[in-house]
Amino acid sequence: MEKVGIVGYNQVKLYSDANYGRYEMIFEAVRGALDSAGLKKKDITTVVSATNDYYDGRTISNALTVEPGGGYLADESKVEMDGAHAVLYGLMRILSGNHKLAVVWGGSMASSFPYHTARLYETDPIWERPLAYVNDITSAGFQMRAYMEKFGVSAEDIAKIAVKNRKNAAKNQLALVEAQNPNLTVKDVLESEIYADPVTELMVAQPCDGVAALLLAPEKQALKITDNPVWVIGVGYNQETYYLGERDLSSSKSMELASKMAFNAAGVKNPLSEIDVAELFEAYAHEELILSEAIGFTEKGKGASLSSEIGGDMPINPSGGALGGNPPCATGLIRIIEAVKQLRGEANGYQVKGAEKAIASGQIGLCAQNNILYVLEGGN
Amino acid sequence: MNEKVIVANKGLIRADFNFWVGRYLDKFYDNLENKKIVGNTCPKCGDVFVPPRKICGKCNEVIPLEENWVDLPETGILINYTITPYKVNDRAFRKVKKPQTIGMIQIDGSNTALIYRLLNLEPDNIKLGMKLKVEWEENTKGDPSDIRGFMKI
Ligand SMILES: [Zn+2]
Repeated sequence: MEKVGIVGYNQVKLYSDANYGRYEMIFEAVRGALDSAGLKKKDITTVVSATNDYYDGRTISNALTVEPGGGYLADESKVEMDGAHAVLYGLMRILSGNHKLAVVWGGSMASSFPYHTARLYETDPIWERPLAYVNDITSAGFQMRAYMEKFGVSAEDIAKIAVKNRKNAAKNQLALVEAQNPNLTVKDVLESEIYADPVTELMVAQPCDGVAALLLAPEKQALKITDNPVWVIGVGYNQETYYLGERDLSSSKSMELASKMAFNAAGVKNPLSEIDVAELFEAYAHEELILSEAIGFTEKGKGASLSSEIGGDMPINPSGGALGGNPPCATGLIRIIEAVKQLRGEANGYQVKGAEKAIASGQIGLCAQNNILYVLEGGN
Repeated sequence: MNEKVIVANKGLIRADFNFWVGRYLDKFYDNLENKKIVGNTCPKCGDVFVPPRKICGKCNEVIPLEENWVDLPETGILINYTITPYKVNDRAFRKVKKPQTIGMIQIDGSNTALIYRLLNLEPDNIKLGMKLKVEWEENTKGDPSDIRGFMKI
């Protein structure tokens, strides 16, 4: 695949209740990304945003984000999925040969809408929504139990992921304060309140407020903008069926196929030895294991045996991952930004030494129905 | 950082959506009203869907409306469950005192699972693979609430 360069990025600090306007937040993210690359509004040729009408409380919600998002009198459109999917459309526009600079931004403020109710609107309106037994909370419980039962994985092994990510988040200044905990123990996680048994509260990536932005440019242009571009060398995406009662929730078929597609494009034969760091969108602690197995880091059911801390065999979510804060529509985009930081040596306090190749993923839907994976390579 | 929070037009706009049930689910609901469970079978792979489907996603095959219906029993096995104190509806979400147990039940003879409450089952007595039976609502209406939940046989 032709190389596309990531030439700038910015993420606002995550808050459980930011208490400042969403347009300021969008402007801060997008303008910060432009500033990071020494670019101006006039350099933007296309904008793709990721928000959700239900989360924004308006229809065609990008109508009001034109100015803060850099879309004023520019080619602009919106994706109602994860920010990582918006990057896919930004990538396609750059690869079309028609654009020199794409701004991709995504995010929302979970403090200002009823998150679980808004997510209930994802469910089948005729058969499931009237009784609402299928929702984002119960589906998390089903997914974790399916995984534990199928492979005999213990709740302790899953709690360890929550501990690792929340400890990592404590080193990341942009993470959600409520998620940061350098002293957390497995016992704390297991004894935190029941969310949807066997999932406990501390295993959940807390929905919060936040916006992030990323800049994409074609190869030649990217080299003019920065000495330190990060290249997108592969991307893969896939989606499985909606109905939970029809899916094998113990693994992720869609991530398996998405990663095959991405690694194939990037020429990666052995992910475990060729990839230096992974930022995965884990909406719950158990998903980090399910996704990393689907990517091929270990056999199915063996994810917990991988040493995934910073300095381990395969550092996963050194930034704290989604467990460090989960602003709907921004979380996957932040994973890409965190992977970029690692490749540029800018992950202050949680840098993986010598990272040259990274992967980052986004997801959407109940039990990660749809997954997207990027393979990124450092420029230097 | 001390901006006022404006709750805009609370209560002014209420968007009620209508969804066509469709002919397949209509037939399914008519049967529920008579306390019967029916499904339909993909002519290609033989998977049995409950509730019935028009299309088998795996085979990309249309299941004809007038054919391939199967009468199913009101029994099944528990293939997954969760226990949660959270209740979500289309207006709000809240934490309740008595957690609900929600199970995935595969009706005998089908390839998909229904998701309903498990009734009168203490957490210690729940086992995956256990046999369960539909507990019907006394006065059925031809909608998802006709099944009150599932009980241990
Ligand atoms: Zn079929």
